[in-house]
This record gives sequence, structure tokens and C-alpha cells, in this order.
Amino acid sequence: MNTKTVGIPQAMLYYYYHYLWKSFFERLGLEVKFSGETNKHILNAGISSAVDEACLPVKVFYGHVQELAEKVDFLFLPRVVSTEKKEYMCPKLLGLPDMIKASLAPQTVLIDVNINMRNKNSTMKNALGEVAEIIGVSHKKALAAWRWAEKKQEEYQSNLVLGNLPFGHENKNSAYQIALLGHGYNIFDNYINMNLIEKLQLMGADIKTKEMVSHELIEKHASSLPKKMFWTFGKQLLGSGLYYLNNPEIKGIIFLASFGCGPDSLVGELLERWAKRGGQKPFMIITIDEHTGEAGLVTRIEAFMDMIKRKVS
Amino acid sequence: MNGFLGIDVGSVSTNLVVLDESGAVRESLYLRTQGQPIKAIKTSLNMAVERLPGLKVLGVGTTGSARHLASVIVGADSVKNEITAHAVAASSMVPGVRTVIEIGGQDSKLIILRDGVVTDFAMNTVCAAGTGSFLDQQAARLGIPIEQFGEMARRATLAVRIAGRCAVFAESDMIHKQQMGYSLEDIGAGLCEALVRNFLNNLGKGKEILSPVVFQGGVAANVGMRDAFNKALATEIIVPEYFGVMGAVGAAILAREYAARTGRTMFRGFSTLDVDFSSKSIECRGCPNQCEVISIQRGSQVLARWGDRCGKWSGVNGILKNEELAEA
Repeated sequence: MNTKTVGIPQAMLYYYYHYLWKSFFERLGLEVKFSGETNKHILNAGISSAVDEACLPVKVFYGHVQELAEKVDFLFLPRVVSTEKKEYMCPKLLGLPDMIKASLAPQTVLIDVNINMRNKNSTMKNALGEVAEIIGVSHKKALAAWRWAEKKQEEYQSNLVLGNLPFGHENKNSAYQIALLGHGYNIFDNYINMNLIEKLQLMGADIKTKEMVSHELIEKHASSLPKKMFWTFGKQLLGSGLYYLNNPEIKGIIFLASFGCGPDSLVGELLERWAKRGGQKPFMIITIDEHTGEAGLVTRIEAFMDMIKRKVS
Repeated sequence: MNGFLGIDVGSVSTNLVVLDESGAVRESLYLRTQGQPIKAIKTSLNMAVERLPGLKVLGVGTTGSARHLASVIVGADSVKNEITAHAVAASSMVPGVRTVIEIGGQDSKLIILRDGVVTDFAMNTVCAAGTGSFLDQQAARLGIPIEQFGEMARRATLAVRIAGRCAVFAESDMIHKQQMGYSLEDIGAGLCEALVRNFLNNLGKGKEILSPVVFQGGVAANVGMRDAFNKALATEIIVPEYFGVMGAVGAAILAREYAARTGRTMFRGFSTLDVDFSSKSIECRGCPNQCEVISIQRGSQVLARWGDRCGKWSGVNGILKNEELAEA
């Protein structure tokens, strides 16, 4: 019997859960195929098929789906509504499977289960049962594979909390610790952010991201808000942002936002106000969209790093 | 005489400044880039050497959006972004400056300095509303030479309220006011106030604007804009003597600092200007990114290549040696 393949678009939640998902499907004996790093072809395909109002990462997601569509037996396209109690993913992620389905050939077999952990008693059981039905394995096997994959994901995340950058990036212990905050799919997609991490590192930055701040610290700092931030990623950005704002080792904070992202526009603004209020920590918001001209980006980050170097020395 | 060159190649203008060894401005040139930066750089250098025969260049600095292109063509010692260059120039011309407002052709900047060091800055986003290009365009539409726009605005009896957030809205608002019978003077003054409001809302948000305030960039020539800033900020607006070329002044100061540290220059000399510079662009077929790679050539020699994401054509720092290029 041939090994069946499951395709996972290398975009959006891939940048959070790729390790979890890969471990899970491989444990069940499937071959996992990612769509590869974003490139011009994928971006163009995404822009021409996505709804116009979507943010850049959603458009890129469309392109990745097309890259895989006819090449795999299953396409993994979960509707991730919520991953933590009383919290939500962003509205565009909630609607993503529906938007994508409208643009796909009907013969594609989708693994389009709902993942919703918002309520007190929510579990993964139903979702895993549905996955098991679609790919033809027993519920029990799926549950065991999930437990195993969750352990792998924990190991992966605790390695990041130790200060390691994911996706092959490495810090070189430079003198200037810079917090680079934003959604994983913006920070680590080197194509859409025009190699921002590498550019900053060449200018002498030691990159810190929200992935390096532990869950407990994020919760602690995010809870200082008068009202609960109910978007999970928004909460992570605020919590880690406040943590870095209060950390004297961090010389500056760069917030990378997607043009058209509702949560980003709120969270970025809040953090900027706090940065200006206490201690005058250099803070800059960079908004990315489809443009490929690097000059605007380079000018801003170069000036930002110059400012920090002149300030520190 | 011995001197330092500062070259600022921006979207609208190319500026060149010559500083003498003491750091005083000896020559300043302002040219329109007109979409041809290489030609503008060569012309400005030729003009400089005509005006200052016998000039010996001890250092060159470049800035502006075409700073890398300019640095390859002239052989620059320091290549710096516009924000740093403008801040350096302002604090050298106006010691103790705490706020720099710079409005150029396509971008505008607000730089906050404390004790001579940049502590915060903001640049306009992709939108060019409120920059020099928009003023240019509106002056042309009203049939007023841009040089006279500010004086005209000054004669206003009442600055009419104009929507300044977006150039398209501003234009329709201006036409509306004009059809209602308001004078050109009142509309011109209203436009200046709208642009200043837009600048302060967009860039000034959350920033502490303290005097001394320096206003520079091409738009600082417009007295209507100076008045509007003066009114909005209720403080004296200082326009330095070389307001239109401050980026180039900053670049020259940085080159002078560099020369003081190293005692040498990479300047290619004026004679190399006779050689033809050209640029060639190709679409790389190495991967699906299909990067648009540009090579800058002097005669048949490739000086630099950029535009690739992987570094195959450009090398890590943007400039490969010729023998390496032959293999690429």
C-alpha cells in the first residue's frame, strides 16, 4: 500500500504548529508535505485568488494552498477557532477554510475539522475523531498520536523559551538586544518581511521574539490590562511586549504589523503608548504589505539601529 | 582646496554639498533627479568641480533613497539613511535642536533629539499626502509657480478649512471651496494648515515636540508652511540657511567624521566621470522568486549588483569582487 500524503500550507498557523502537526500525521503513518517557503510565484498566485480585503498573510496562505492542491491526498485545513479558554483566533483565521474552499477544486479531500477549546469542557476528542474518519484510522490511534505530538510540541516550544530562534535563524550574541514582535507568520516568513531578521542581525541586533517569553510570563504581563485581551496572538504580543518593555537588557522594540490587520493595529498602538509613557524605550511600528521595494524598510531599520547605537555608546 | 562631499539622491531632487576642512559649507547644489539618478549624480559632480576648480576630495558620504547607487558610482566612504543624515546636519547647524521637521518630495520625517542624540523618529507611511509632490501638483493646478505659493498664502485674510488627510480629498475640498468663491490666497493658506495638521496628526502622535524646532527639506522654502507650523506649534520655527540640502550636509559631515577616523577615502575621482555608467536588469531564473537583479556597470566593468534575495548575485554585503562576479 502506498503511503498517503497530507499537505500542510506553509503559512499562517504553520509558523506556530508545524511541529505538532507534522509529528501527529507522521505518527499515523502519513507522509507530510509542506508547500515550501513563500516565493514570488506563491505570492502572486495568492494575491490573484484571495479576496481583496484580506491581510497579506491570508493572501499568501491562498498561494500555499494552490501550491499543494493537486499534489497531495489530503489537505490539512483546520478551522482553528480557539486554542485557549475564553480566547479566540482572529476572525480571518476563523473564516479561512470557508474562503479557501470556494477557490478549490471539489475533488480535493480536505481535513477541515473544527478546533475550538474556548469552553471550559472543550477537548480535542471530537476533532481528532473526525480526522481519524477522514484518513481512515481508529479514534484510539489518533488520540495516542496526538498525545505524542503534543509532547513533541512542548519540547519544541521550551527550546524557544530558552532563547533559540526557530526556522534556522541563529543569534550571534551581539550587544544590542532588540525585541521583534509580531505574528509568527510575519516574523518568520522571510519573503514577506524581506529578510528582516537577517537584515537586523547584520546591523548588530540580537533578536528576541515573543516565542522566547514563557506562557506564565505572558499571562502575568497581559493580565495587567483592565480588560482581557481575547485574541490569543494579541495577548501573546501584549504580554511579551510588556515583558520586554520592562526588561532593561532590551534596547528597542520593533513591532511588525500586517496592513489591514485589526488586532495588530490595536495592539501596536497600545504598546507604543506604553513604550512612550515609561522609560522612553525606542519603539517602532513597521507595516508590511505587498510591496517589494526594500528601500523604505531598510531606511527605517537602519535609522532605528543607528539611534540605539548612538544612545547606548 | 580640500573638501568633503555629501550627496543626497532623493526621489525628486539630487543635492550635493561641499564642506571645507573646518566643516563650513562652501558649495551647495540642488538638481531635479527627474527619474535619472545616475545622470543627476554625474551632473552635480561636474558642476561642483566647475565651481570649485582644484577641489581635492578627502571624503564622500551619500544618503537618500538612492544612496547605495550613488555610493557605487562615486566611491563613497559613508552610506547613511536620511534620518541619521538629517539629524546630524540639524544638530550641527542648530546646536541644541530638539525637534526636526523634514518634508521632502515624497516623504516627511519628524525626528526627536535630546542632548544631540536621536531618541525617536517617525516617517510617513506609503501615502505621500502632505509632501512636496502634492504641493507641487496643487500649485500647478492653480497656475501658481511653487516658489510663489507661500507668499500667496501669506496674503490670506482667512485660512479656509481643507481636509488634509488624503491628497484626493484635499483636492476635491479645494475645488469645492474655490467654486464657492473663496480667494486663492485663502485656499492656499488653508492647504498649508491642512498639511501641517496632517503631519502633526500622523507623525507627531505621542511625541513631545519641544523647541528649538528646525524645519528643513525642500518644502521649508514655503513661507506659508512655515507660518502654519508656527501657528500650530506656537513656537519659533527655525529654517537653517541650507534647509533644502540638509541631507547632503549630513552626509558630508558623516564623511568628514569617517575621514577623521581613517584618514583615507574611496572616492573614485572626478576623471572617472567621463566613463559611461549604465545599469542593466535581468530576471534571475534560479528559483521561483524570479528576483529582478540590477547590475551597475562602469564601461564594461560591473561595479555592483543588487535586487536578489539569496545573495547569489550581490554577495553578502551587496558588492562582489569582479572575479567572484564572473563565476556567479
